Amino acid sequence: MAFTEGFISELVGRRATINDLPIGKVTDFLVKKPDATFPQIDGLVVKTAQGPRFAPIETVADVDRNGTIALTMAPKDPAPPEGEELYLVADLLDKQIVDVDGRKVVRINDIEVANAGGRLRVVAADVGVAGLLRRLGLRSFGKRFTPAIYKRVPRSMIAWDSVAPIREPNPSQVRLSVTESKLSRLHPSDLAEIIGDLSAREAVAVVQQLDDETAADAFEHLDAETQKSLIEDIGTERAADIIEEMDSDDAADLLAELPEDQQTELLAEMNAYTADELRTLVQYAEDSAGGLMTPDYTWIYPHRTTEATIRKIREIAPTSEFIYYLYVVDKDDMLLGTLSLRTLLLALPTAFIDRIMDTDFVSVHPDAPAVDVAATIAKYDLLAVPVVDDQGKMLGIVTVDDAIDAIMPPDVAKKLPHFMARHHHHAVGA
Amino acid sequence: MVEAPRKRSFGRTLVLIAAVLGPGFITASAGNDVGGIAQYSSAGAQFGYSLIWIMIPLAIALIVVQEMATRMGCITGKGLASLMRETFGVRISFLAMAALFFINTLLAATEFAGIASASEIFGVSKYIAVPGALVFVFLLVMRLESKTVERIFVGFSLVYLTYIASAVLAHPNWGDVARGLAPTIHLQTAGWLVAVVGLIGTTISPYMQFYLQSAVVEKDLRPEDLPLARVDVVNGSVLAIALAAFMIIANGATIFLANQHGANLNPQQASDFAEALRPLAGKFAEAIFAFGIFNAGIFTATVLPLSTAYVVCEAFGFEAAIDRKFSEAPVFFSLFAVGLILGAGIVLVPGIHLLKMILFAQDLQGILLPGELVLMLIIINRKTIMGTHTNSRLANIIAWTTVVVIGFLSTLYVAGQFYPRLFGG
Repeated sequence: MAFTEGFISELVGRRATINDLPIGKVTDFLVKKPDATFPQIDGLVVKTAQGPRFAPIETVADVDRNGTIALTMAPKDPAPPEGEELYLVADLLDKQIVDVDGRKVVRINDIEVANAGGRLRVVAADVGVAGLLRRLGLRSFGKRFTPAIYKRVPRSMIAWDSVAPIREPNPSQVRLSVTESKLSRLHPSDLAEIIGDLSAREAVAVVQQLDDETAADAFEHLDAETQKSLIEDIGTERAADIIEEMDSDDAADLLAELPEDQQTELLAEMNAYTADELRTLVQYAEDSAGGLMTPDYTWIYPHRTTEATIRKIREIAPTSEFIYYLYVVDKDDMLLGTLSLRTLLLALPTAFIDRIMDTDFVSVHPDAPAVDVAATIAKYDLLAVPVVDDQGKMLGIVTVDDAIDAIMPPDVAKKLPHFMARHHHHAVGA
Repeated sequence: MVEAPRKRSFGRTLVLIAAVLGPGFITASAGNDVGGIAQYSSAGAQFGYSLIWIMIPLAIALIVVQEMATRMGCITGKGLASLMRETFGVRISFLAMAALFFINTLLAATEFAGIASASEIFGVSKYIAVPGALVFVFLLVMRLESKTVERIFVGFSLVYLTYIASAVLAHPNWGDVARGLAPTIHLQTAGWLVAVVGLIGTTISPYMQFYLQSAVVEKDLRPEDLPLARVDVVNGSVLAIALAAFMIIANGATIFLANQHGANLNPQQASDFAEALRPLAGKFAEAIFAFGIFNAGIFTATVLPLSTAYVVCEAFGFEAAIDRKFSEAPVFFSLFAVGLILGAGIVLVPGIHLLKMILFAQDLQGILLPGELVLMLIIINRKTIMGTHTNSRLANIIAWTTVVVIGFLSTLYVAGQFYPRLFGG
């Protein structure tokens, strides 16, 4: 093939010929595996007198001779139905996509294809003004008359690897995604910002592409209004799956915003343990210690050795949010003392926990206002403070970043880095 | 697995009840802008009640067109600009957006012209009032949520109800008014065609379809919300048409009749139409009229350049959000600023005839309307886009008739501009 590289807009509309005899016009390009890094073009759609026909790429002799596309044999089959595969023109050109690299929603003005090792591949999406000018037929005009300006026109190409289509929620057009969505490569807060920028319908389409975990991480960064409208739209079952994966303090905040019957429905869909935990959390006022706390603290028993405890922590640490403080509780969950990871590591392997733990710890009541919680954390230089009820029973912890979020105006809080990575968590079973 | 139908929470039901005073209603209120007041007043002052009949087919066309925009929003969840871009590609959407930006900037100028007229009633020079209004509008957009702005001005626009009272208190000969409902065509009368095209353009403004559909998408109305959304469209359209008809009657019963009896009231500026409120408001007629057009002017000047910038960016995929920094959304902010400043600037051109400019803008809307309707009709009849919700045969007949009639009138209008002798002018 003499063709080296070019844009879809320059190829569409060209005449398709067999032995230099025109048989129709090229209208579209088919890609069967759009998730490949640089997917191969598997065929062309040629509009013939008999209607649209599919020409497999093997029958394409050349893509550039005399401005026509030469075929070796006449295309016979009708084009495969839209929806099963990806059509570059019908499904992508002029449509909105998420630029995973640039972290924003853009529209595809043109698509660059290149001949790599004898195969025609999709290389990049043009989302810039240059692409618009080319589509308007102004490129040559621009080059000739205003070269100085033309040179400055931003060329915004997005490598195909970073192009994530916002798929239509319309079931007839949903394609089965073989691999995980490129969207999950985005940082949850960026993903949340993109979801917030989209219209409600597009936001649903994006959430539907995400696995529960990624969706949950993004949900934690969404504002309450967007969360609520998304939950209405994605259905109770999926919403419950996502909420289950969220940090329980964020999940409880979200549930607290919803009307009671919807809360009940969602909780009924979750596993019993998570549902119970959330039911308790939802009762507390949002700006109290109870509302801010997470029950996912690391708890240990007093009559274990340091060595046994460290072994246990090593097991759960990879999935635990917060392991820097350990909370020593008895079998009734009464808080006996606290222990920092540092103390634990420096203690003798044979030492018993109840000997090295700090029994003179600071704690807050679940009804304590957020401001007081933050003040306590600041005063004692803590990373987290335990929440304990009147009987001395351990309920959860408030971490420093949740306390800051609660007392900081939302737009300021958003800009601060979070101190702790937020992922999954488990308690230490002892 | 069969997906259960979406359940409606209590909150959602409330939203839906509010939708009865929803996007359609708000869009209709926004349609009664400075240009609308000037055009309806001028039609009544010039032709008495004889143009009232046109408001009936216009009401039908308005309802059909706005229902189409609402339905496209409910079914696709996309704005009209998005659908145009995705259906017709870059070239046609570029033409459509260029035309929209041009006409909307001119309309922004008419809004500032209204503000200028209102301020001159109170003896404030337009060279002070218009720059002041520009700053005010800019602050409104930057500081307030657009929803809040919308509510305030829709509330204030109730001042137009005074036209109904004034029309009644002017004691028009209702028999004459009723005779005005019978269709009569006066192509040979000077100014008749200009008035008719202007009435069409100001009643079914091209930008209203974009605005309405975007509002429907933003409210996340769904196919199942269509019945209520339709009620909203009919409510808004009927109210808009009724107010327009009473504006025509009030002006017909005052300015037109006075001229019939030998007076020589020849409105040269928008504020001269305050005369129509005299039967109700007496010496306060000017003040009420000034308040009305000032409110309409500020409201539409706040909404129009901003929504135009959003729509154009939607079509071309540029970042658009008012809470971003300039460097994050340069195209969006540039379009907004250029539309707003150019709009205000046109009004300040020394010696410009503001009323003529306002009425010309309405005619231009009428001329551009058929193009927009054709694009809408192609989109709404595509099964791949609308599924089972393509236009009914009746809607198609009404809409295509509208296109043909308006297209024909626009062609005559343009011909009349080049060969004035064609129509008695």
